[in-house]
Amino acid sequence: MQHKVSASLKDALVGEMGNLRAFAVSLCGDKERADDLVQETLFKAWNHLDSFKEGTNLKAWLFTILRNTYFSERRKRKREVEDADGTYAARLATHPEQHGHMDLQDFRAVLVRLPDDQREALVLVGAAGFSYEEAAEICNCAVGTIKSRVNRARNRIAEMLGLAEHEAGQDDVGLTKSA
Amino acid sequence: MNRGRNSKDRRLNMPGASKKMDQSVETGTPADHGATTDDAALAEPETGLTPNLQAHIGRHVRAVFDEVAREPIPEHLLRLLKDLERSGDK
Repeated sequence: MQHKVSASLKDALVGEMGNLRAFAVSLCGDKERADDLVQETLFKAWNHLDSFKEGTNLKAWLFTILRNTYFSERRKRKREVEDADGTYAARLATHPEQHGHMDLQDFRAVLVRLPDDQREALVLVGAAGFSYEEAAEICNCAVGTIKSRVNRARNRIAEMLGLAEHEAGQDDVGLTKSA
Repeated sequence: MNRGRNSKDRRLNMPGASKKMDQSVETGTPADHGATTDDAALAEPETGLTPNLQAHIGRHVRAVFDEVAREPIPEHLLRLLKDLERSGDK
């Protein structure tokens, strides 16, 4: 085989694995499945390394592969079993490792209730460190669409947490439901 | 289904927020927005949310993400890379 992978590229791959896992979990809500996604992403990336130009955005490239893998698998699955709304949220909410931080848990529950496209945009821009332009490329949509999704996501979160009408100056106070 | 939408209808009390958002989809905001992850800089007037609130939401989105991102990489994923590398040498 022709894979001559530079040490720096391999280090970079390893270096992005944590971020890839976090993105995968935010997409599918399940750590085991997330690890499968990361595994498949690494595999595909490795086999297509010749199509990747070293020095360009490896992280965005990997995120794009993972995202496309996830959505094409999900389309296949959906044809077999229609995933009922809310199973995703239920799965996350009962994940044993995720108890502990009370307000983060509240927040996680809110995140999973966002529409997929809004959550994805918010995570890419707000957590994974991508620009709007990069996120638009990863999601294969217009920059304006990403901006709009991020805004909608934030508005929804504020509504769901009952934060819309007041300032969240301090962290813990802010997340307490005011309803 | 769609719990979010119901609650939105009931309690959307941010004046003009959704209307403004729809406009921004149609007109399309200029693409020359600089790349930044700074919460205050990301604040867009059409959200109807204060910069503080946006920053607050941003911190929590990052915290949820980082919690997973900082976990040790599962051994089998690291092993996969080694295996791929070995198969590439042959």
